[in-house]
Amino acid sequence: MHDFISLLPLIIIGSGAILLMLFSAFEKIQLETASYISMGFFAAAFLAQLLVGCGPETVLFDKIFNGMLVSSNFTMIAGLIILGCGFFTAMNSHTYFKINLFCTLEFYAIMLFGACGMLLLTLSQELITAFISLEIMSLSIYILVGYDRSNVTSTEAILKYLMLGAFAGAFFTMGTALIYGGTQSTKFAEIGSFVAGHSGTNPLVLGGVFFIFVAFLFKAAAFPFHAWVIDVYDGAAAPVTGFMATALKTAVFTIFANFLAINGALHKDWITFLFYIAVFTMFGGNLIAIGQNSIKRMLAASGIVHSGYLLIALVAISTDNFTGTVVGYYLAAYAVGTLGIFSALSYLAGEGEKRATFDDFRGLANVRPYSAAAITVFLLSMAGIPPTAGFMAKFYVITSAFTAGHMTLAVLGIVSSILSMWYYLRLIIHMYFHEAEECFETGGSPLAAAATFILVFCVFAIGLYPIVI
Amino acid sequence: MFEHALSVMIFLPILTGLVMLLFPLSKGTARITGFVVTVAILFRGIEIFLGFTGTGGMEYVESHSWIQSLGISYGLGIDGISLLVLMAGTVLFPMVFTIFKTQSKGYYANLLIAQGAMIGTICATDLVLFYIFWEVMLLPIFFMIGLYGGPKRIPATLKITIYTIAGSLLMLAALVYVAVSYHTQFGKWTFDIVQLSELNLGSGFAVWAFLMFMIAFAIKIPLFPFHTWLPDAYTEAPTSTTFVLSAIMAKIGVYGVIRFVVPVFEIEFARFAVLLSLAGVTGMIYCGLAAISQKDMKRMLAFSSASHMGIIALGVFCMNVQALTGTLFQIAAHATSTGVLFLFVGLMEERMQTRKIEDLGGIAYRAPIFATFFAIAMLASVGLPGTSGFIGEFLIILGAIKFNAFIGILAGTTLIIGVCYMLWMFQRVFFEKSNERTEEFQDLNVSEALTFLPVIVLILAMGIFPQTFIKKIEPAARQQIVKVFTIPQAQVADTTVPTLGHNNHKK
Repeated sequence: MHDFISLLPLIIIGSGAILLMLFSAFEKIQLETASYISMGFFAAAFLAQLLVGCGPETVLFDKIFNGMLVSSNFTMIAGLIILGCGFFTAMNSHTYFKINLFCTLEFYAIMLFGACGMLLLTLSQELITAFISLEIMSLSIYILVGYDRSNVTSTEAILKYLMLGAFAGAFFTMGTALIYGGTQSTKFAEIGSFVAGHSGTNPLVLGGVFFIFVAFLFKAAAFPFHAWVIDVYDGAAAPVTGFMATALKTAVFTIFANFLAINGALHKDWITFLFYIAVFTMFGGNLIAIGQNSIKRMLAASGIVHSGYLLIALVAISTDNFTGTVVGYYLAAYAVGTLGIFSALSYLAGEGEKRATFDDFRGLANVRPYSAAAITVFLLSMAGIPPTAGFMAKFYVITSAFTAGHMTLAVLGIVSSILSMWYYLRLIIHMYFHEAEECFETGGSPLAAAATFILVFCVFAIGLYPIVI
Repeated sequence: MFEHALSVMIFLPILTGLVMLLFPLSKGTARITGFVVTVAILFRGIEIFLGFTGTGGMEYVESHSWIQSLGISYGLGIDGISLLVLMAGTVLFPMVFTIFKTQSKGYYANLLIAQGAMIGTICATDLVLFYIFWEVMLLPIFFMIGLYGGPKRIPATLKITIYTIAGSLLMLAALVYVAVSYHTQFGKWTFDIVQLSELNLGSGFAVWAFLMFMIAFAIKIPLFPFHTWLPDAYTEAPTSTTFVLSAIMAKIGVYGVIRFVVPVFEIEFARFAVLLSLAGVTGMIYCGLAAISQKDMKRMLAFSSASHMGIIALGVFCMNVQALTGTLFQIAAHATSTGVLFLFVGLMEERMQTRKIEDLGGIAYRAPIFATFFAIAMLASVGLPGTSGFIGEFLIILGAIKFNAFIGILAGTTLIIGVCYMLWMFQRVFFEKSNERTEEFQDLNVSEALTFLPVIVLILAMGIFPQTFIKKIEPAARQQIVKVFTIPQAQVADTTVPTLGHNNHKK
């Protein structure tokens, strides 16, 4: 029974997705209704996840699934983040698609399917399950990215994402095959014990783990597989970008951490590799972000930088007593900040996202002081200025890096966040220190604005009461 | 309420400021609210000063566990080291609200938030809490300079913000390192500064951590060669922001060194002391020379302020009781004198629309009260005996000579530079011929005169009866020095480099 309850959020989201898909056959159902329904399902699943509560690590339906799904505190946190992101994205979409008219009912169904894949991904402790859920998630996101078929940048984005994503999926399958060849298993636990039990390098395992890392790094937008992010984030609609940037990253980092943490030997072998990946991801991301003029592109690049910080946390995770709290907390803090900005963009960008660059947001504070203040809070959180959630998250990451003895990495992380101040401050300066040139009229419904202000509250709540840790 | 005196002093202004930002208020109401709040804080500050026993330990302590798994607590308290800094942060603020009536609501709100955050920085005994207030303190400054500053405000804002944030992020890394080292040595997490001072750091990364801390504070002070943000920020900022920056925020940098760096990194500190004190003296000379050549009064005062911060910092690096007491005293003395001078320049700018020294002249004939007040503050700033500036500088130079004769003599003789630029400026602005611009100059009206009078009296009182203040701070200074250096005073002053290999600073 407990297993069933632990799986309940996934079941709720899955049935919601199917239900919405069926509903979309009916002409009478309005787009708004669909967004309310999806919000309802996300909220229900969120509550279910919250009520299930945390417990020790449990294998779900051991007999039926053969130990493929494992729930723990960490997956619960990840689940909450994903479902929360889904809920706010539904709110944002409600507003966004009143201004931009290219949405159909299936949008919400596909979003729910995507969330379904993400939840499954966080739970999976086995490579084939991981692959299936990765593809469920990715396929949904591909469609969401290219939803506006009349838009050229959107089409460009989906083409790039689909092509490269397919390669990543292929790498993942290849890696799985090699690992299975080497260890006779696809379960994380058994792979772990195989690596621990055999000294010396097994070329099959080495190659397999490498390919799987490539796939994860691609999905997480880490160096050197980060180049797609900028165009894809830019081409997708603002709510979709927000969903991708937060929920997808959460899911990918959760499975990445689970995969790494399962065995100390595996973690130790790859630590140097991950060290350099983390450093290059942070600095590469910063260099890209500094040059951007469009807010969405800047956020995409800053997402790369945050992947770098998360990689620091992965380098520093303790494999003996893995709880994932640092990674989970960082993901939560990152998610509220990023999602908040995309919520604000959903209603401020206007028709066809005509306000896209830093210059377009000049003087926002004069016209819409509350929105500007909210965006400022999100930017400060992403920059890691106290007392926001972003600061606490950065603090925990640095602390974990020092505790694990990675002084250099911690200091490089700090240097990178000094660099990142420039582009966060730049937007604040544009909003506050220039005169407004337009009146920033917005249409649509007030839901996205509501989401923005709830998220402002979350930024401070998570920052001041870090319950997770 | 009375057992939470410090919390009230921190959060009353912050919350009032936030409420002012969120709700529509007219600027008159905002100013009066701000004035009432700062006066309330002032009374609490005076109460604390009078109730302070000066035994050397922490008083008015508040401590609540905040994040247990990492030992982070909400810990507040003040001792002789923080007392006068705290007083500087409370006594001077009401003036800003009485004198400048033309600013907007957001400006007054930011001032209040800055005050609350600064008091928080001064009172925090937990490193993380300190860091949080330290960063929050910068945000209102960022907005005040950027929104209400002079024509070149945006570059100035960026410069000060990125400079200080870079410093404080390095400090974040260093403080985490300190806590992690404590965890490794004692097996528990804490960020409490009293407990962290028991830490015995090895070599290696400790030096880097020390340098990171020092860079953060050196930027804030600003210590040569990290002073380059200062002239731009001080000049472009609106007057009361410059006042806040120079009178209080710079002092918090020095205070941070005394409170957080010295107890934890005593060996590294002793090792770098000569270098750091040379940086202090160099900054003092260099900024003093730069001040002589300035044409803009505010910019001149900015350099003068940087020059004085050099000598205040020098007092910390000399590592003896006299110099440390002198520094703590000088922090308050300099806050009153330079703070008031910046406000005077702001008044002159408001009345005559110019700050250029050459455009002014003959003000003393038009405005005798103003000129007298200005002269007293200025003389205190250059350290004339009988004013507050003398006591602090005297003690610092005494300590410096004890520490290293060369540095002491260098510091003592170059104080003359300060007299040069100040008196020359005074001559050109207040005497000489008046022109059509200064003919119209109005003397201080009654309310302005009454606002400045207490501070002017305070400057004189601190110069004539310094013992009232010194007896409150000296026990803490002595304790700090004794706790850190158990070897005899003379030895500390003589040996610039302690014997390495065996740790003779520890009990």
